[in-house]
Amino acid sequence: MAHIPDGVLSAPVLIGGAALALGGLALGLRRLDEADIPKTAILATVFFVASLFAVPVGPSSIHLLLSGLMGIVLGTRAIPAVFVGLLLQAVLFGFGGLTSLGVDVVDIAFPGVILGVVARSLLRGASGAGAAAIGGGAAALSVIGTAGCVSLALALSSADYLPSLKIVGLTYLPLAAVEAIVTGFVVAFLVRVKPEVLALEDREGEPA
Amino acid sequence: MTRRWHRIFSPVAVSAAVVLALAGPAAAHRLKLFVTAEDGEIGGYAFFVGGGRPEGVEFVVKDGGGREVFRGRTDDRGNFRWRPSLAADYAITVDAGDGHWVEGRIEADRLASAIVPTAPGAAPGAAPVAAPPSASPPVSASLACPAPFDPAMLSRLVAAEVDRAVARQVRPLIEAQDQAEGRVRFNDVMGGIGMIAGLAGAWSWAVSRRRRREP
Repeated sequence: MAHIPDGVLSAPVLIGGAALALGGLALGLRRLDEADIPKTAILATVFFVASLFAVPVGPSSIHLLLSGLMGIVLGTRAIPAVFVGLLLQAVLFGFGGLTSLGVDVVDIAFPGVILGVVARSLLRGASGAGAAAIGGGAAALSVIGTAGCVSLALALSSADYLPSLKIVGLTYLPLAAVEAIVTGFVVAFLVRVKPEVLALEDREGEPA
Repeated sequence: MTRRWHRIFSPVAVSAAVVLALAGPAAAHRLKLFVTAEDGEIGGYAFFVGGGRPEGVEFVVKDGGGREVFRGRTDDRGNFRWRPSLAADYAITVDAGDGHWVEGRIEADRLASAIVPTAPGAAPGAAPVAAPPSASPPVSASLACPAPFDPAMLSRLVAAEVDRAVARQVRPLIEAQDQAEGRVRFNDVMGGIGMIAGLAGAWSWAVSRRRRREP
C-alpha cells in the first residue's frame, strides 16, 4: 500500500520523491503558524494512529489514510503532519522505509493537499449533504490519487511491477469508499458545528 | 486565548480519542514472513500483521550467492513450499506486488539431516526442485527397506527423526514469535503520540521566539 518499504523503488524515484517531499515540507512549515500547530499535531496523531489499522483485502491489506481530511483542514500543513506520522511509523513499527519516506509523503500528502484546495473552494456556502458530498468526493479522489502515485512510483522503478498494478488499483477502491464516508461525515459535522476549524472565509484555498 | 484553543481542539480531539480508543494491540500494516524447514522442505507463508496473507503472489528462492534457484506462487491460503535438492543457505522472498515484499532465510543446518547430499560441485537447485506433495521423506524410505546395520546410517536416521520432531514442536513457537515481532504495542503508539506532542511544543516555542524577535 502507501507505505512502500526500502529496497523496492529505484534511486531516481527515491531522489525525486525526496526532493518533492522536502519542497512540500518547507512550504508546509512556512505556513505553520502558532495557532495552526495544535490542530496540525492532532491530525498528525490521528493519521499516525488510524493508519496503523489494516484490513485484509484480496492479496493485500488496506488502512485509513485520511489525507483528504487533512488536506481540507490543514492545506499544505498536511505535508509536515504526514511526514511526522510516516517517520514515526517507520522508526517505531517498520512500516514503510526511511529511504522511501519522501516518496511515501508525496504519495499520501500531495493528492490530499491538492484535492483539499479544490474542496475548500467548493465548500464555501455548502452545508449538510452538499458539504458531506464535497468532503467525501475529495477524500475518495485523494485515495485514488495516492493509488496513482504509488503505481507510478512502482512502474517507474521496475517494469516487473506493471502486471501487479491492477492489485494496487483494486485494493484502493474499497478504501476510497470508506474514506469518503468518514471524511464526508467529519466535514459535514465541522461545517455545521465548528466551521472555524475549516476557516473557509480566509485566504484562497488555504486554511488560516 | 484558552477559549480559542478549546474551539480548535475539541472537534478534532474527539476524533483522535475515538481512533485511539479503537486502537487494538494487533492492528498493523506490514508484510512479514514465517518460514521453516521440515523434512528437508522449505515452507511457510507471508502475512500482513493484523490479518491477511498474500495469495497467488510470487515467491522467489535464492541461494547463498544470490542466484535465483526457484520461482513459484503462493497457494490460495498464502502458503509456499519447495524442496531443495541440496542443503544450503537459502533466502526466500515474497512479493505481494503492491510495493510490499519480505525476505526470510533458512540456514543449511536446518536442511542438512533430511537431504541426501548431491554430487560435489552440483549447483543448488540445478535439479528439478518442486517435489510432489506425495513424495515420501528420505528417512521413511530408508526405514521401509532395512539394510544391514550401519552405525553411520543409524546416526543419520536418528538425527533426521529428532530434527523432524523438534521442527514439529518448534513451528508454533516460531509462528508466535513472528506474529509477536510485528505487533503494534500500546507503549510504542503512546510514545509516537508523545513525540508528536513534543514536536508541536518545540515548534510553538520556536515560533514564539521568532515572533518576539520581530519588531
